[in-house]
Amino acid sequence: MSTLNASFIIEITKRDFAERFAGSVLGSLWAIIWPVVNLFIYIVIFGKIMGARLPGTSEINAYGIYLAAGLIPWTAFSSTISRCASAFIDKKHIITKVNTSLPSLMIHINLSESITYFISMLVFFVILAFQGHEFHRELMLLPFLYYLQQLLAMSLGLFAAVLNVFIRDVREITGVILQLWFWFTPIVYVFDILPGVVRRLMAYNPACIIIQSYQRIFVFDDYPPFHALIQLTVITHVLLFFSFVLFRHLEKDIRDFL
Amino acid sequence: MIFVENISKTFKLYRRPSDRLKEIVLRSCFHKEFQAVSDVSFEVREGETLGIVGENGAGKSTILKLLTGILIPDTGTVHIAGKITGLLELGTGFNAEFSGIDNIIHNATYLGLSRREIDERLDKIIAFTELNEFIKEPIKTYSSGMVMRLAFSVAIHADPKAFVVDEALSVGDAYFQQKCIKKIKGFKENGGSIVFVSHDMNAVKLLCDQAVLLEQGRLVDKADPETIINQYNFLIARKSRGDEIRYRNEEPSSGYGNRKVMIDHVSLVDENDTVSEIFISGRPFKIVVRLFGRESVENLTLGILIRDKFGQDIYGTNSYHLKKRISIKKEETIIITYAFKEFNIGPGKYSITAAIHTCSTHIDECYHWIDKGAVFEVVCGGGHVFNGLVRLTPNLYMKNGSASFLPTPGISSENDSTA
Repeated sequence: MSTLNASFIIEITKRDFAERFAGSVLGSLWAIIWPVVNLFIYIVIFGKIMGARLPGTSEINAYGIYLAAGLIPWTAFSSTISRCASAFIDKKHIITKVNTSLPSLMIHINLSESITYFISMLVFFVILAFQGHEFHRELMLLPFLYYLQQLLAMSLGLFAAVLNVFIRDVREITGVILQLWFWFTPIVYVFDILPGVVRRLMAYNPACIIIQSYQRIFVFDDYPPFHALIQLTVITHVLLFFSFVLFRHLEKDIRDFL
Repeated sequence: MIFVENISKTFKLYRRPSDRLKEIVLRSCFHKEFQAVSDVSFEVREGETLGIVGENGAGKSTILKLLTGILIPDTGTVHIAGKITGLLELGTGFNAEFSGIDNIIHNATYLGLSRREIDERLDKIIAFTELNEFIKEPIKTYSSGMVMRLAFSVAIHADPKAFVVDEALSVGDAYFQQKCIKKIKGFKENGGSIVFVSHDMNAVKLLCDQAVLLEQGRLVDKADPETIINQYNFLIARKSRGDEIRYRNEEPSSGYGNRKVMIDHVSLVDENDTVSEIFISGRPFKIVVRLFGRESVENLTLGILIRDKFGQDIYGTNSYHLKKRISIKKEETIIITYAFKEFNIGPGKYSITAAIHTCSTHIDECYHWIDKGAVFEVVCGGGHVFNGLVRLTPNLYMKNGSASFLPTPGISSENDSTA
């Protein structure tokens, strides 16, 4: 069994980007154009033109920033899960031909999504700087938040990927769940408009904890809910361990079935 | 060095993949088992080539996949000193939109090379492909032969310690094939181990030092290639015996003619009087034709014709030319044997055409004519290696000085001085 190989992961990640923009004139410039367009929509269209206001803040751009602060991490989180879920099937032609380390495939998805995330964040920061946004030291927590969300995404993605080999519907189910999950998480709306019952349920929504942390850091200049984050960190690692054990247990079958 | 100890692999056949999960949850059986490889052990030392011979479904490809780690054995261990690469993964991850160079880099990554190693070898790989300026073009513009050349060049330069070859030597044109074989031999001389799987018995004989015979996932025997090939032939022969319909006609028609006399059966028999499909060049060979008389016919002629795979006539004669009178009575069965003491035709695939008619040709009255009454393959024997259609047996002499029947020798240095 081949072990994790950094050079391999980097090369397939590069290829991932190259393949996405293969044959296009602008090439990997598209990797920057997309986040710019998205952020323009969040901040200018939603924030300024539609004039949505965020309760509890004085900034007129607050809603746009709120949206961006939620959507950038959510996009990375959800695409990591959905891409991981179908990774084994998508790369079937390679897995059945060369000795590929299957966890490497998961990690490359993470890396590739991280690059998109990083570019989006960079663009976001540039825009914020232009608008004269004040940066606070809570921003130092971003790397940790990102680590946590991607680790969670990977453990869920790996779990789905293993199941997907045996039940091909899992990919579609994952898509549906992610869609529902998105609307059950206060990303486009604010937490406070939720009815009390749902609000209490939100304590069990890990995405909500993570997204709220981002929103607090960017919009409300506040510390994230540390207690919940620590709990989530523990749960995430347990989950990843569980997914990995399941994967190792079924790896032989996965290779046979592909 | 490849060291394989008691590997077994069972495939569980499920009606649906989800049955596997049901099995885990419900703890009951939802599958049928198929033993693809059972308890196989062998080792291939440095500089050695092992041939794996066996019928389709004998487990050859599964063994290769177990060796390269694509599949994991149920029991037993595979130990490989160093990296193993297979030619069965030629061109993995090729993308038609990208240039030859990009695909080399990508494919080499899949074969386990680091970026630094790839950069070091890139020039050599490109030179080996001989694709010249095409190397910068997207490979969708390549011919399939060019793609294979690219793929093979990467595989052979991946610098493994062990190499697995799966019928893949037929890449590109004859020139490139020669180049590949030379490269593989060089790899062997430098201490690489090769596992070679092929249905081409000549290639096995030519390339391998040792061979193993697989039958239904079991390793039947391990010996020198010739012994194994003979066993393999025996295996095939044993299997086809009792097979009533031995005609391998591409069209279901059983020939033409007025069928007053019919060719009932054509079989090919080796020196041990066993029916076979593979024969060794230079060894005894018999064509046995069974005739059935639907009417009494006096003085008929039985002709045979050996054709190669291109339909070219290699050798043909008939009983008229051999001055043998054949007669048949109504409802009678007779057997006619053409026995060749030395069957001196070159390696390749051939078919037998048989015909019964009057006099010297089938033009006057043809009773029955069958194309491809039997098919067979000829492989190189234990004697000297040769090329071509015919096995000639020259003697080789050497002596000093001149011979009376030769003109006086020209002196080459004269040519030099005039130049």
